[in-house]
Amino acid sequence: MDSSMEQELRKEARKLLEEGKVDHILGFARGSLKFTATPFITKEKEEVASLVINPFIVNNLAKFLIELPGRVGIVAKGCDSRSVVSLIQDNQVIREDVVIIGVPCSGLIDIAKVEKLVNKDRDEIDDIALQGEKVAVIIGGQKTELPTKEVLFEHCLGCESPTPQEYDILVGKPTNAVGDKELSRREIKKLEDMVPEQRWAFWKEQLSRCIRCYACRQVCPACFCERCFVEESQPQWISPVSQWQDNLMFQVIRNIHVAGRCTDCGECERVCPQNIPLRSLSKKMSELVDEMFHYQAGIDKNAPALMTAYEPVEAEDLIM
Amino acid sequence: MGSKSEWEPRIVGFLCKWCSYAGADLAGSGRKKYPANVRILKVPCSGRVDPLLILKGLRLGFDGVMVSGCHPGDCHYQTGNYRARRRIALTKKFMEYIGIPEERFKASWVSASEGAKFAQVVAAVVKDIEEVGPNRLFAEDGQ
Repeated sequence: MDSSMEQELRKEARKLLEEGKVDHILGFARGSLKFTATPFITKEKEEVASLVINPFIVNNLAKFLIELPGRVGIVAKGCDSRSVVSLIQDNQVIREDVVIIGVPCSGLIDIAKVEKLVNKDRDEIDDIALQGEKVAVIIGGQKTELPTKEVLFEHCLGCESPTPQEYDILVGKPTNAVGDKELSRREIKKLEDMVPEQRWAFWKEQLSRCIRCYACRQVCPACFCERCFVEESQPQWISPVSQWQDNLMFQVIRNIHVAGRCTDCGECERVCPQNIPLRSLSKKMSELVDEMFHYQAGIDKNAPALMTAYEPVEAEDLIM
Repeated sequence: MGSKSEWEPRIVGFLCKWCSYAGADLAGSGRKKYPANVRILKVPCSGRVDPLLILKGLRLGFDGVMVSGCHPGDCHYQTGNYRARRRIALTKKFMEYIGIPEERFKASWVSASEGAKFAQVVAAVVKDIEEVGPNRLFAEDGQ
C-alpha cells in the first residue's frame, strides 16, 4: 500500500465516473484524527483526489452497498470483497450494479496497539510505515521498529485472502500479508481449554458490560434484516434493557443469524465501545461452519447461502 | 432450590406435527410409559424452530429443550428438516462453546410410527438432565 497505488486508484475511480460506469465511488479518505481513515462517498470526479490507501482503512465498506442507490464503485480489501460476495449470495447486492476496485491488503494496523507499545499518544507519533515483518514508527525523528504481528488486528493475522478474489479492477500487485493463524485465534484457544462453567462465567462477565448500543450489529455487513429480533415486541424475545442474560442471548442469536455470512472482518469487535471480545464469538462460529459444512463465507458468489442449502447426510452424530 | 428428590426436570419439546407429534400420540395410545417432564409444543415443521425458541426456553428457566422432527428424506415440506439440521447443529455446537452443557438441548428424529422411540428419547433426555441438575444458567448468580 503506497502512494503509487493511491494514484492508480484515483485514476481508475475518475475514469469510472467520467465514463458513467458508476454513480458513486465508495472508498476511504483521510480521517480527522491522525492515523485514521474514514468512509468516503462521492459523485464528483474532482473529489477522487481525496481517496487514500494505507494500513488504517479499517472499515468494512460492504455495509454501505445495501443502501447506496445506483451503481457503485467500491474500494475493497480482501475482507470487504468477501462481504460483497456474501451480500450477492443473499441477494442484497446485484453483482452487475457494483464495480469492485480490489485493493490487495497487507494487513491493518491497530493504532491503539501501536500507542500502547511505544507508550505515546498518536499525536506524538510522526509516521507509521508497514514494511513486511516490521512496522517502522517515527517519533521525534527517532525510528522504532515493532513486529508487524503485534500491531496488526488479530483478524488480519488469520486472513485467508488479503488480495480480493472477486474484483473488476485490481489496483497494485497481489500481496501476501503477514499471517499467524495461531495468534489470530489465541483468545478462542484459551476459551476452548476451559470447562463449560468457566466459559459461561467468562461470557457472563464480558457481556454484563454490554450497553446494548448495537454498534456491532449496525456495522456488520452480514446483519441486514430490516427488522431485528431484538426490536420485536410481540412477542418480546429479549428485554431491551441491558442485563447480562439478555445481552448474552442477543450475541448468541446474532452470531447464529450471521453464520455463513461472517467473513471475519473484525468490525464488531473493533467498534465495541466496551471492548467485549466479540470476534471470539464470530470467528468461532465461522470455524464451526467450516468444520461441519465445509463452507467459507464470501468465496463463491454462485454458491447457495449456507442456511439455504444442505447435504443429504451431515451432522447426524448430533441428533438422536 | 430443594434437594434433588424434590426437583423434577421441566423440559420444553418442539415437535413437528407431521411426525413426532403423532409419534407422541402413538406412545400414549400404545400405553408406552415415559417420564411426564416434557411440555409439548406443536410446530408445523422442525424447520420452524428458530434457535431463538431454544435459547428462550432456557432463558425462561426450562431445564432442557428438545426438538424432534421427521427423519431425513421424510419431510412433509421436502427440505424443512434438512435446513433444521444445519441450524440445530450450529446452535448445539455454539451453545457448547458459550458454556451451556450439551445435555440441555437435544434433537431427535421420530416418525409418526415410532411411539416406542419417542418414549425412549424422552426417557434419555430426562435422564441426562437429571444428571446435570436444575437450569440455573440465567439465574442472577447464574452458573
